[in-house]
Amino acid sequence: MGGYQLEEKRLRQKDRLRMALLAAVTVAAVLLSFWIGYYPLSPAEVVRAMLDGWGIEVEVIPQAVTIFWQVRLPRILAALLIGGALAVSGAAYQGMFRNPLVSPDILGVSSGAGMGAALAIGSGLPGWCIQLFAFAGGALAVGAACLIGARARENPVLSLVLTGTMVGSLCNAVVTLVKYFSDPNDVLQQLTFWLMGSLTKVDLAGVLTSAVPMAAGFAVLFAMRWRINLLSLGDEEAQSLGMSLRRDRLTVILAATLLSASAVCLGGLIGWVGLMIPHLCRAVFGPDGRRMIPACALMGGAYLLLMDDIARSAMQMELPIGVVTAVAGVPFFIWLMVGGRGAFHAA
Amino acid sequence: MLLEIAGLTGGYGGRPVVRGISCRLDRGEVLGVIGPNGCGKTTFFRLLLGLLRPMAGEIRVEGTSLAGLSSREVARRVAYIPQNHTPVFPYTVLEMVLMGRASWIGRYQSPREADREAAFAALERMGIAALASRPYTALSGGQRQLVLIARAICQDAPLLVMDEPGASLDYANQQRLAVVIRGLAGMGYGVIFSTHNPEHPFSAADRALLMREGEAAAFGPPAEALCSEQLERVYGIGMEVVSVTDRSGRVHTLCLPV
Repeated sequence: MGGYQLEEKRLRQKDRLRMALLAAVTVAAVLLSFWIGYYPLSPAEVVRAMLDGWGIEVEVIPQAVTIFWQVRLPRILAALLIGGALAVSGAAYQGMFRNPLVSPDILGVSSGAGMGAALAIGSGLPGWCIQLFAFAGGALAVGAACLIGARARENPVLSLVLTGTMVGSLCNAVVTLVKYFSDPNDVLQQLTFWLMGSLTKVDLAGVLTSAVPMAAGFAVLFAMRWRINLLSLGDEEAQSLGMSLRRDRLTVILAATLLSASAVCLGGLIGWVGLMIPHLCRAVFGPDGRRMIPACALMGGAYLLLMDDIARSAMQMELPIGVVTAVAGVPFFIWLMVGGRGAFHAA
Repeated sequence: MLLEIAGLTGGYGGRPVVRGISCRLDRGEVLGVIGPNGCGKTTFFRLLLGLLRPMAGEIRVEGTSLAGLSSREVARRVAYIPQNHTPVFPYTVLEMVLMGRASWIGRYQSPREADREAAFAALERMGIAALASRPYTALSGGQRQLVLIARAICQDAPLLVMDEPGASLDYANQQRLAVVIRGLAGMGYGVIFSTHNPEHPFSAADRALLMREGEAAAFGPPAEALCSEQLERVYGIGMEVVSVTDRSGRVHTLCLPV
């Protein structure tokens, strides 16, 4: 076949190279995160501590083993999972709603999940109930955004954003109410701390519990990564190309909501990652979901990990990571809005 | 027979917009659908594409009724070429054309190498393989149209439905469009297009369907269906259909308001 096909093949190879580079950056970010802290773990120590934990005899300081397994590893895994989950669900929402300005937080899904989780925590329900309530709250919020946003005729892009803002604000009001009625010595502290967005209290068990629903949501979105392209063309066109619209849409929404709700359960409200990372990935890899979805998983994970490193080490005391991502994210959003037509039209 | 439509009635909320339309089309034939605003063209097309369920009547493609078929099954029979549009995200031309393969690719699968080759073959057929890696959003209206046609070819359905392909094209591209449509018919596709210009069916179609208030005012070869009397009746203005011969001896039909 002709030269154009070869040229296209070369471009695909370039994309693969970029993806490999991104994976390398992620690995580097992980190693850096093990090293940052009051007790730096070198890559060699990381390997030895890991082997020691698996019961293989190696020469290693016991302190390093404890820090590896109980402090750094849970936190690094949590940052990778939450960042990846928020970015991937953001990419899925953007494609599905045909709207480059939405993300789990802007659609109100994060607030909805926060509301569900706060209700569960406030009533002293067990851990699995918190997950379930968070998912239900997130689904409720995205459902409301769909229903109201779809009815608005003028400027669908902004309507959806505004609907999300309203739904989010309502959910936050419920959270405030829960806080108002909860015990200031016990539940309130726990709630406040968690809602700020923080990875300080994550442990390995908690990470693994959240990893299961996240893996399920990601598997579905990864399998449908190409189909999300079709959804982004619009309903009639997607259906005339052979998509069963209702079923495929519902699947994508549920999977994305499961991802973002699990992320909220694990780390609280961490904003802006789900908006920023899909935009950056699209700029580097193009809009095709076949590259976007895996790239978002990697870049989201690496990004949140680096943000968490800043949260841990920027000041004497630890900063809430939600604050750090907001400080980085808001200027980005302003740049999207003001810095040219790109954001509101294409991206 | 590729397409048989019998007594097709459909609309919204129990109110029929299209009433009792019957027509037929064979492979290699082109049907031009024409009529004033609000005559039901869009509803007719939505019925054809399986986006709207008929209230009465039937659409058969190669003998199979569209009623009860999944959207995947409909897409394997009828391909849609929408009006020029701008997608939200800047997909490349190849990515855009690949989407035509959706009805042949599993729900949880991505296109394979064979699909990519089919997309390239479709691009080459439309003579735009050179655009493959360009962003679709950066193309001109005429080029976008060719990309959407390539996507429909890639979809491998025998019937192509084009929604006002002439709209938003400049003058030269509108003239080229007739050649492209005849070319598609030459490849063996049945083509249906809608237009606001009564001259288009004369230059591109074998049959014309003239619609008025949801009904078929006339159906047949353009010279019969779109005669002066019919056009005057449907549009409510004085019309005259005239033939002129150009310097190379070809005969053209012009529709003039008088």
